[in-house]
Amino acid sequence: MKDCVLKTNQLSKQYKHQVALNKVNLSIEKGSIYGFIGQNGAGKSTLTRLVTGLAMPTSGTVELFGETDERRLIQARKRIGATIEQPAIYPHMTAAENLEAHRLLKGVPGKECVQKTLALVGLHDTGKKKAKNFSLGMKQRLILAIALLGDPEFLILDEPINGLDPMGVVEIRELLKKLNSEKGVTILISSHILSELHLLATHYGFIHKGELIEQMTLHQLEDKCQQYFHIKVDNTEKAATIIETVLSTNDFEVMPDGVIRLYKYLDQPTKVSTALVNAGLIIEQFKSMGQDLESYFTKLIGGIQHG
Amino acid sequence: MGNLLKSELFKLKKDTSFKKLTLALMLIAALFPLIASIYGTEQISVNELFLTIIGKNNYVLKLIPCLLAGYFIASEYSLGTMKSIASSGNSRIRIYISKLMVFSFGAIIFSVILPIGMTGTGAILSQFNDMPDLKYFAQIIIFTMLYAAAFASIMMLFATMFTDSGKTIGLLILIFLLFDGVMFMLASKITLFEYIYNYSVFKLSYDFININALESIEVFKLAIVPIVTYVIFGLLGVLAFQKKEIK
Ligand SMILES: Nc1ncnc2c1ncn2[C@@H]1O[C@H](COP(=O)(O)OP(=O)(O)OP(=O)(O)O)[C@@H](O)[C@H]1O
Ligand SMILES: [Mg+2]
Repeated sequence: MKDCVLKTNQLSKQYKHQVALNKVNLSIEKGSIYGFIGQNGAGKSTLTRLVTGLAMPTSGTVELFGETDERRLIQARKRIGATIEQPAIYPHMTAAENLEAHRLLKGVPGKECVQKTLALVGLHDTGKKKAKNFSLGMKQRLILAIALLGDPEFLILDEPINGLDPMGVVEIRELLKKLNSEKGVTILISSHILSELHLLATHYGFIHKGELIEQMTLHQLEDKCQQYFHIKVDNTEKAATIIETVLSTNDFEVMPDGVIRLYKYLDQPTKVSTALVNAGLIIEQFKSMGQDLESYFTKLIGGIQHG
Repeated sequence: MGNLLKSELFKLKKDTSFKKLTLALMLIAALFPLIASIYGTEQISVNELFLTIIGKNNYVLKLIPCLLAGYFIASEYSLGTMKSIASSGNSRIRIYISKLMVFSFGAIIFSVILPIGMTGTGAILSQFNDMPDLKYFAQIIIFTMLYAAAFASIMMLFATMFTDSGKTIGLLILIFLLFDGVMFMLASKITLFEYIYNYSVFKLSYDFININALESIEVFKLAIVPIVTYVIFGLLGVLAFQKKEIK
């Protein structure tokens, strides 16, 4: 098993009338981009607050870079960069001054990293403009810059894409990908919109009402969400041959119950059915299956709610 | 700890309320003797000027830093910037102490602008006419600093509990304005309160003006009470901050 940057063991947080997190066992491998997905109030921010030490768990432990002891955890937090919910910046300071305050706080040597980091998020030309006069998207970028200061090994980003325009979303996504691939930065990024993370995350965690209901890799998620034709005919073997020869594709699977899952020709159902009928096969079932990420997520939550 | 102090000092320097209040106090320190010397019939006595200021400076000690407590401390919570500080890999104790030290420094600056500034301006304008006794002057400045720091420590505890700038400023000013009166009333009924009040920084902050007329045991009391107050409220603040859930 790979090294984990973050692990939580039976992590729980209870407020007076509310269980915000319930025995969460989450693990984030080094080098991954972990998409943390849940509806409003699911407990995403609560988890990030426990990891960053802003709140204490009711029970369970947080393991950061292998450390669980409170003192060592504090030290370990020097290696993370975090943004948790709404913009947290000094409104009367410029972007550079905001970064300077945080550079001093984190003890990052060398003033030049301020301009470098501003350039990274596209805020290098804001000059003397005070942060209170920034647009929401600019504020989001500034917060990201603050988190990026001092080259953290682990980034915790709670809803960082809020308020960015489509271009900004793409830009930030590319930046995060680059940090991940070039510098090996591990990223935890939370959102309530699965599709927002889809082009970015390599791992997914789904949280609902304080419970981590599923963790999976991108590959597993894609498997679950893949579109295909569900085909049942009277002679599976013959159908398989027909697909291979007439439709000339290997991109299909034969399931144990004899159902064929065809992943090709999704936009040409008549071509598929004609080929099968022409070969004298009787089609018993023929339907389009699979789902997009969003409906998968909805179903996952629905299953929990009804089951 | 060094980096925390540097960061807090940087923020204090950039704090709008700190800059404006310092400037306002400096203006008063320059203008008051100037007006007195222009409109006064006889040449100003620097010593008298000094005695007048230190009588009034008590308000500066108690009220002006309340504003700074709101803008410099409580606002960190309402802006959300405390999240970055608390998750920066520094222990809560260090974070609190650094902020307390820098906040006290700010309060000390406020507290000495009028006595030093006015006396200085007065001295220049009157060509050093009737200067205050240097030893007395130095003692007063040192005690002013001590009491400013003690009040700052109390203010910071409340700011940490209230976490909202407006609420902090309003309630602190109320507390600092009413404390004397309330204690006076209570003291007339229950002797314990009289005892507490007599040993509080609130009462003693009026007394140190007479330092040159006091016995050394009294002087010791004047010095030790603000120091103990600073430490006790600092510790209470650390305790409150350590338990705090930061939103
Ligand atoms: N200080 C608190 N006191 C009481 N309940 C709280 C507190 N903080 C959070 N909660 C509750 O815990 C639950 C989880 O909240 P959390 O902020 O973690 O959700 P979230 O997943 O981040 O939601 P969102 O997508 O809206 O940001 C919510 O029901 C919330 O009301
Ligand atoms: Mg949240």
